Amino acid sequence: MRSYLTRDALVKWAPVIVLIVLVLFFALMEPRFFSVRNFARIGISSAPALMIALGVTFIIIMGSIDLSMEGTVSVCAVAFAFAFIAMGGTLASYAWLALPLALVVGAAVGLINGLVHVKLRIPSFMASLAMGFVGTGFALLLTGGDRIRVEDELFRSLLTVRFLNFPIMVYVALGFLLIAWFIQSRTTLGRNFYAVGGGEELAHSSGLNVNRVRLMGFTLAGMFYAVGALLAVGRIGIAETATGNNFMFVSITSVVVGGTALWGGIGGVWNTLVGVLIVNVINNGMVVIGLPGYVQDGVLGILVIIAVVLSTDRKSVTFVK
Amino acid sequence: MSFERIKTHLPWITLVLLVAIVGMADANFLRPHNLINMAADIVPLFIMALGMTFAIYIGGIDLSAQSVANMTTVIATVALPVFGVGAALICVVAGLGLGALSGFVTTRLLVPSFVSTLAVGGIAYSAGQYLSGQRALYMNAEMRDASFGWMVGNSFGIPHEIFVGGVLVLAAVFLQNRTTFGRALKAVGAGEPAAVASGINVARVKIMAFALSGMLAAIAGLLFSVKLSGGSPTIANGFLLPAIVAVLVGGTPLTGGVGGVVNTLIGTLIVAVIRSSMLYFEIDATQQQMVFGLVLIAAIALTIDRSKMRIVK
Repeated sequence: MRSYLTRDALVKWAPVIVLIVLVLFFALMEPRFFSVRNFARIGISSAPALMIALGVTFIIIMGSIDLSMEGTVSVCAVAFAFAFIAMGGTLASYAWLALPLALVVGAAVGLINGLVHVKLRIPSFMASLAMGFVGTGFALLLTGGDRIRVEDELFRSLLTVRFLNFPIMVYVALGFLLIAWFIQSRTTLGRNFYAVGGGEELAHSSGLNVNRVRLMGFTLAGMFYAVGALLAVGRIGIAETATGNNFMFVSITSVVVGGTALWGGIGGVWNTLVGVLIVNVINNGMVVIGLPGYVQDGVLGILVIIAVVLSTDRKSVTFVK
Repeated sequence: MSFERIKTHLPWITLVLLVAIVGMADANFLRPHNLINMAADIVPLFIMALGMTFAIYIGGIDLSAQSVANMTTVIATVALPVFGVGAALICVVAGLGLGALSGFVTTRLLVPSFVSTLAVGGIAYSAGQYLSGQRALYMNAEMRDASFGWMVGNSFGIPHEIFVGGVLVLAAVFLQNRTTFGRALKAVGAGEPAAVASGINVARVKIMAFALSGMLAAIAGLLFSVKLSGGSPTIANGFLLPAIVAVLVGGTPLTGGVGGVVNTLIGTLIVAVIRSSMLYFEIDATQQQMVFGLVLIAAIALTIDRSKMRIVK
């Protein structure tokens, strides 16, 4: 039996085990946790975060990192809200065009992130961190600090209309999860992400245009951030500079806790789903059992460190900056 | 004169040019009174940037600085009635401890510093929220003046913050240039493999660098809370970006090894001048973040040592 308990197996299944243990723990502490109504609540809070975490998953598989999501999400949310209201303010009119427009904005911002990283040869964590600040600043410039209300009932049906007890936005998120899975496992681009993450020099010498894969990765991530922005606006009905707040910590935490290695090449979209659920179950469970919400960040911080330590193959790592 | 030779002089040239430009636009800017006040206002940020310098100098980064400063504003406010001036010691120890924790996680557990410090920042944030009960707290004015009045007074027309910053920068310069620890820092920043080969305990040097960064972030928080006479778990938000900008604009590259404490002093002054120039040129304050983000990208692109990075991840 011992051979089953290898490091690899532990690393692979640890996130799922953690998720199950957490659910059982909270269910035992407070039976109300284990109800469809509460699971729907977890689904609602997970949906936007999942989109953003999926976007950054691709980047982390490549061995890079993207810290720009707060800015990108805010820009997409604000651009969407302005376009939506300017073109009629309801999905029944031409205002539906604001949805694809938001995706285009997200892709454009992502591409700019990628260009700054690749063309100026700046490490991605710093390039994207700086671009995130620029994005938040740009959103602030657009709104002047105002909140923009998006009150169209048809758009808000993302939250208000339920199917089998779960609101539509949860199904939208699942749809995009399948798209992300398809990209990861059934397209050349997806394979290339793993090739770059597994060993960039090898990928380069086997004829892969690594920089182009990078740019496409960042563009793709930008589009997923835009979807996350749309769901976030759909959830609260407001687009503002603060729409993107806290997504950086939460999404990076989710990806890492889900078991995608920061070194690249390992993990994927299903890991991210588990990671997002872990983060949101902790979040929701703490409130349900009556613990103050602020403990969350500290607990997540500790979990992240444990997750990175578990997923690090010490033999292959020489220097850590 | 090649660009590489001018590069080391760019920070102070930039500073002089910026001051000249703003001075030409509005001569009031150049009044000593105005310049001194501007410098005094920037001191908390400068202290944080000073700490960040050590983290960047060894090739890492400290993203927890802002959360640590937030936390210490709360600690200072809560501890003041009980411990008086001893509150400062608690703040310093808390910052030192969290910084050392970041360093430990980075070096011993092999977690990249931007993740380890982000995680430790999460812990500091929770601690700040817990201690404050999630609200803004205020210091009793008498107690504040009795214990920390010396930090914010005014002598010979010069605000005391400038003396606080001055003492810290002198200590940091001494540490950097006149101690074996300073030489070890330089060795680690210039090239980690060589530092390991020459027998330096690299992990210990790095842990100490992060601990210094945490401690100075805590002192920044302490001074900030004394200045504002209170604390809150979000009061120092918005410090992180300008602090990183100050270090990088000053000429300490993200790849570490060159630059240092004095560069950060110049970098912080550049940040201060850009900030006030936005006032003089009537640029809306909401655009500050965008401007600093772009300045940051430009500064990194100019200063980074690409020969150190075979692959840019």
